[in-house]
Amino acid sequence: MTDTDPSFASKDVPSTLMRQTLLDRELVRPATDRPVIRLLPWLHVVTIGGRSIMDRGRDAVLPLVDELRAAFGEYRMLIATGPGIRARHVFGVALDLGLPTGVLASLASTEAEQNGHILAALLAEEGVSYLPHTSVGHQLAVHLSASPAAVSNGFPPYELFEFPPVIGKIPPHRTDTGAFLLADAYGAARAIYVKDVDGVYTCDPATAGDGEAEFIPRVGAAELLAMDLPSLPIDRLVLELMGSAKHQKEIQIVDGLKPGNVTKALRGEHVGTIVYADA
Amino acid sequence: MVDQGDAGALHSLLMSRSLTDAELLEASDAAPDYAILPDANVLKIGGQSVIDRGRVAVYPIVEELVKAKGDHQIMIGTGAGTRARHLYALAAELGLPTGALNDIGTAVAGQNAKILGHLLARHGVPVVGGSGFGVIPLYLAECGAVVFPGMPPYDMWQHVPSEGVIPPYRTDAGCWLVAEVYGARSMTFVKDEDGLYTANPKTDPDATLIESITVDELIAMDLPDLVIERPLLQLMRHARHVRTIQVINGLKPELITRALAGEHVGTIISAA
Repeated sequence: MTDTDPSFASKDVPSTLMRQTLLDRELVRPATDRPVIRLLPWLHVVTIGGRSIMDRGRDAVLPLVDELRAAFGEYRMLIATGPGIRARHVFGVALDLGLPTGVLASLASTEAEQNGHILAALLAEEGVSYLPHTSVGHQLAVHLSASPAAVSNGFPPYELFEFPPVIGKIPPHRTDTGAFLLADAYGAARAIYVKDVDGVYTCDPATAGDGEAEFIPRVGAAELLAMDLPSLPIDRLVLELMGSAKHQKEIQIVDGLKPGNVTKALRGEHVGTIVYADA
Repeated sequence: MVDQGDAGALHSLLMSRSLTDAELLEASDAAPDYAILPDANVLKIGGQSVIDRGRVAVYPIVEELVKAKGDHQIMIGTGAGTRARHLYALAAELGLPTGALNDIGTAVAGQNAKILGHLLARHGVPVVGGSGFGVIPLYLAECGAVVFPGMPPYDMWQHVPSEGVIPPYRTDAGCWLVAEVYGARSMTFVKDEDGLYTANPKTDPDATLIESITVDELIAMDLPDLVIERPLLQLMRHARHVRTIQVINGLKPELITRALAGEHVGTIISAA
């Protein structure tokens, strides 16, 4: 059977991509090279670290909750949470049993969701709810028109469809990456990562000797990847994806243990490390 | 299998290190690989290449699947096709982002899964998706086959391509990822050509068939067009279970049974 077979041709829906494999770049380009619009240009995506913030409990979480609450009304926010230490535990259990990366991803995602429920409960009085992935992906506009913020699972909905990683079996798409992809898809105003360090250092300031760790206030994503630092406060995959992002050309990592930082970052002030797309 | 000492070491690395730590990643690499459904075979039925052709292509394939499921457990994933192309073109023209386009693939692959599901219903074959994946083992044991929409559920979290807005991980990647996560026995792509050619055989008369090739060779060739999604080749490089795939011609439906039996009847692409 060939393309000239009339029974086939008559069954096509006419379009500029009709009968393409969608893999020939020269053919796809003219049909898809329009600029991408920002769906929610007023959205602020604030990612709250699991280990760095949530696992610290009351001392770290309550002041941050107060700060977020104070910013409601001025900024419309999606607050994404990471899974923290319980994900490490469940990774250990599942790896020991030989389970694959996709299963690890779905197990860790449950933990990120639980931290989301905790944060949403603390903000419920302000009209904030936890939203599952389907609501975040499809009804965020109505939720953020009705309330100042919503909380969601930072992990993207990859679960069983998670990629096998380059080395080992730890799921590569985690909280930082999920929040980044979502912020870019919505064309959000800002993506802010709330951690327990000021941002990027040349080595881990928590373990390095005095004065050894040098702070990097502003750096290109590709440049930072090329530095191949032993540890980073943000997942490397975010840096890799920044080059192809349509809107999210800049993120900021801030220390959420220092009061006022998140508010300043929401205003656009430079208080941590800004990583920008340089590729 | 790792001994208890290794498991303890891995546990302490997980509790203390960053998830990008090299030693932690190496330790996770050494963990055993348990195949969840080692007897299952994943078959992807193309949308544009097969289902859009209608009865002339689909009925003989349905008949073949019904015969084959007596001997083999089959998870049948569906592609999207011509309606997805119309929607992708429309959405791209209107400036919608990749995340919004992902749903289009999901919806159309879902329609195709429903279509195949209705045709296979009298043979006891159900359609599953999302949280329904948990019952796949029961269905495979009871009736030998299930149908699922092949699009990965990435929604607004789909990767953005370096150029344009079409989701880079579509139903080829989705079906393979299902095969990989379940540790399936085989992954076969049922299309409308005898396999992979040096160019698109529908538009280039000089295209020649490649019977077998490695992923690395195929990436190095950088062909302008391809019978399977390019990003799948990168995923396959890191496969732990499904390191070979076969692309066959579903317009010769008997090839499905032969591919399930392990015969080389199309193009075999391997990770090593």
